[in-house]
Amino acid sequence: MISRSYFKQKGLLSLLLILLMLPLIAIGGCGGGAPASGPDALPAAKEIPREALTISLEGGDWGYPSPFTHYPRGPGIFKMQLIFDSLLERAEDGYIPWLAESWEVSEDGKTYLFNLRQGVKWHDGKDLTADDVVFSVNYYREHPPVSIFFGGILLDEKHVLEVSAVSRYQVRFVTAAPNATFLPAVGSARIIPRHIWERVDNPREFLAPEAVIGSGPYRLIDYSKEHGKYRFEDFDAFWGPRQRVDVIEFVPVSDPVLAFEKGEIDLIEDLSPDLLHRFQNNPEFSIRENPGFWGFRLRFNFERNKLFQNKALRQAMAYAINRQELVEKIARGAAIQGNPGILPPQHVWYNPAVPKYEHNIERAKDLLEQLKQANLSFTLLVGQDREVRIGELLKEQLAETGIQLNVESVDMKSRDARIREGQYELALVGHGGWGGDADYLRTRFAGEKRDWFSGTPGYNNPLVNELGRRQFAEVVENKRRELIFELQQELAQDVPEIPLYYTTGYSVYRPGKYDGWIYMFDHHFLSHSKLSFLER
Amino acid sequence: MTIFEYFITLMIILTINFFLPRLMPGDPFLHLSGEAGLEFVTFTAEQREYFIAHYGLDRPMSEQYFRYLSGLLRGDLGFSYYYKADVAAIILSRIPWTLLMVTAATFFSLLLGIFLGSFSAWRREAWQDKVTYLLIVIFSEIPVFLLGIMLLIVFAAGLGLFPLSGAITPFSGYTGFALTKDILHHAMLPVIALSLTRAGGIYLLVRNSLTTILAKDYMRTARAKGLSEGRIRYRHALKNAMLPLVTRVTMQLGGMVGGVVLVENIFAYPGLGRLMQEAVFVRDYPLLQGIFLVLAFSVLTANLLADLLYRFLDPRIREI
Repeated sequence: MISRSYFKQKGLLSLLLILLMLPLIAIGGCGGGAPASGPDALPAAKEIPREALTISLEGGDWGYPSPFTHYPRGPGIFKMQLIFDSLLERAEDGYIPWLAESWEVSEDGKTYLFNLRQGVKWHDGKDLTADDVVFSVNYYREHPPVSIFFGGILLDEKHVLEVSAVSRYQVRFVTAAPNATFLPAVGSARIIPRHIWERVDNPREFLAPEAVIGSGPYRLIDYSKEHGKYRFEDFDAFWGPRQRVDVIEFVPVSDPVLAFEKGEIDLIEDLSPDLLHRFQNNPEFSIRENPGFWGFRLRFNFERNKLFQNKALRQAMAYAINRQELVEKIARGAAIQGNPGILPPQHVWYNPAVPKYEHNIERAKDLLEQLKQANLSFTLLVGQDREVRIGELLKEQLAETGIQLNVESVDMKSRDARIREGQYELALVGHGGWGGDADYLRTRFAGEKRDWFSGTPGYNNPLVNELGRRQFAEVVENKRRELIFELQQELAQDVPEIPLYYTTGYSVYRPGKYDGWIYMFDHHFLSHSKLSFLER
Repeated sequence: MTIFEYFITLMIILTINFFLPRLMPGDPFLHLSGEAGLEFVTFTAEQREYFIAHYGLDRPMSEQYFRYLSGLLRGDLGFSYYYKADVAAIILSRIPWTLLMVTAATFFSLLLGIFLGSFSAWRREAWQDKVTYLLIVIFSEIPVFLLGIMLLIVFAAGLGLFPLSGAITPFSGYTGFALTKDILHHAMLPVIALSLTRAGGIYLLVRNSLTTILAKDYMRTARAKGLSEGRIRYRHALKNAMLPLVTRVTMQLGGMVGGVVLVENIFAYPGLGRLMQEAVFVRDYPLLQGIFLVLAFSVLTANLLADLLYRFLDPRIREI
């Protein structure tokens, strides 16, 4: 008995010993710790011309870049857009012709005729024609893509009555009513090849190589979900401007600043102001402040607390909140204070003439006098971390005018769920998209659908409704712009919500390596612009 | 009986796995607020309804639950809402990386803990013991994410000895030995961070049990027999101190998972932990269920192994 267990244990011990040795031997092999070789060790996947330029960017998994399988976040969307083209493209100042060379809108604003560029090739060599455009729209109606354009207006059969190929390179859309968002909606829809997708029944599960055949300037060469890396190479037969960047690589990054300093990536996109000094006053680096298109807003629940129906209270709060202090203390200066007219100052249609509500405690107190309401006390629903700090600062600021604020912090998803159900009095929400089409002024404050999700239930301002409706139906750009300016004026007067600040942050790159970076007119990241990689 | 108990435990875990994600506030198709600086797709109310119906989330809970169980019986873990891929495939691609982290960290923390623990016990109350004790306690009290960041800044960014992130050099085209070397090179810092923070518990355990054992009568007998010091220490003393260690290591596995989540996040390491964090964030129910299942299964397996190993190491248990 004793001897048996002795041998058994001896056997176990030697097994353990061997197991112990294995990793040691292996690690001994790499004990030298030779640094991993850089991008010069690329496989010869393709003959790369002599001055080939490879740009490396922060990776992470954002999904397989087909219109149906990327993840619903910015980095997923723009990777898909490198492969797939649309009729129009977003440039620095607005939309530019892309797959569509030109277009005509009928006098009544209901019919659109797009003239497609000829000679456009899919990555597999086939021609892109009007058939593909018609097919894409019809296919999206059955299988909505991940990124939906302007609330899915293009997919609404009650609005888009007819989509047809007039000739091999002409597509006509007939709509039920003039709609200002139709052009950007149809212009930003990604065109997919009919010869591939007509055979696909479940696009969300279609992960074959054909799923990423587009007509855009780049082809997907390599993708790894687990490692979060992508490799795109230029498409030789691309119809448009030549690619300045031959290869775009997305690599996993633990910390962007460290990775940039070590040369692993070529662009930092959201540098905190505290680290700015590392790159300032150094000709090696270019620094650009991102436009403020990601913002925090303070929402009133007009139905939960009828006091908010009172304009004087909302205006008083706008005066009482020191937005500049929020910018300095919470965003450490890397933000622009909120505009009571809602649209951020860098928006293409920003109206600079609206009331500003500079911080003014006396004005706030005067306005509150009119309410004749003692002991004002509200509960503010916030998310976590930074939002708690915003909440606490708001509490301090409002206390100066006698308004008591209770800050309630929950996790982000709970906050979203409670807003959707209208379970809040005041809520803080932060999100992007503030640079987008100004029609969001209508959906937020004058939409027909008064759900908590996208609108402001309980808020009803006839002038806002009227202006919202008119700009929506106005397809002549200059006229629409005037209406949007008027709308901002009225919103700033009426304060249906208080934008607190729009975050900016900084982008840093080495101009010696590559300097073609541009911002799209409505977006705050350089790498998200397709034109950043092309000749201009 | 034991097998039956394990089965019951598994059933309870499956049920919790199913209901827990669904009890969290929010749902997979509700986005209102974005991560800082990030754009995201907002679904309109209709689109949200479309997806909820598409994935069968509008069906009664009981129906969803039984569909989940019958899927499991067929080996089908479901399809991820966010990642748009088979849950089993996603998890399988991540498991090797986490397994590498966990086994390597367990191994090195054991090695370090046993070595230093016995060192301290032989020199109990001497200055060597006090210094080791102090150092180990300090290291094991540093949260693993902080230690990870420190290692990253000093050894990867500062000295450039290790890569900054990931599990392999992207697009390197390495194969065979070069690939193995690359993988180990990338795994070093995360494993060191995990091992250092995990070694403390093992150290204390070894130190304490050895101290108790060294005072036993049979140790005196061994000395009286004239056995060599090495034989006394390693064959007689350390072997007896192994028993509680086995329990400790298997029990530690659950805690290790928590550490792995943090470490994988710091080093952008493609394991299960990082995946789990992302899945919680986007409320990807099928993926969450799958990950929880795998984790629960591995902890159960570890416990089972401990049971078996215990019988093997301790003849007293075997004879009962």
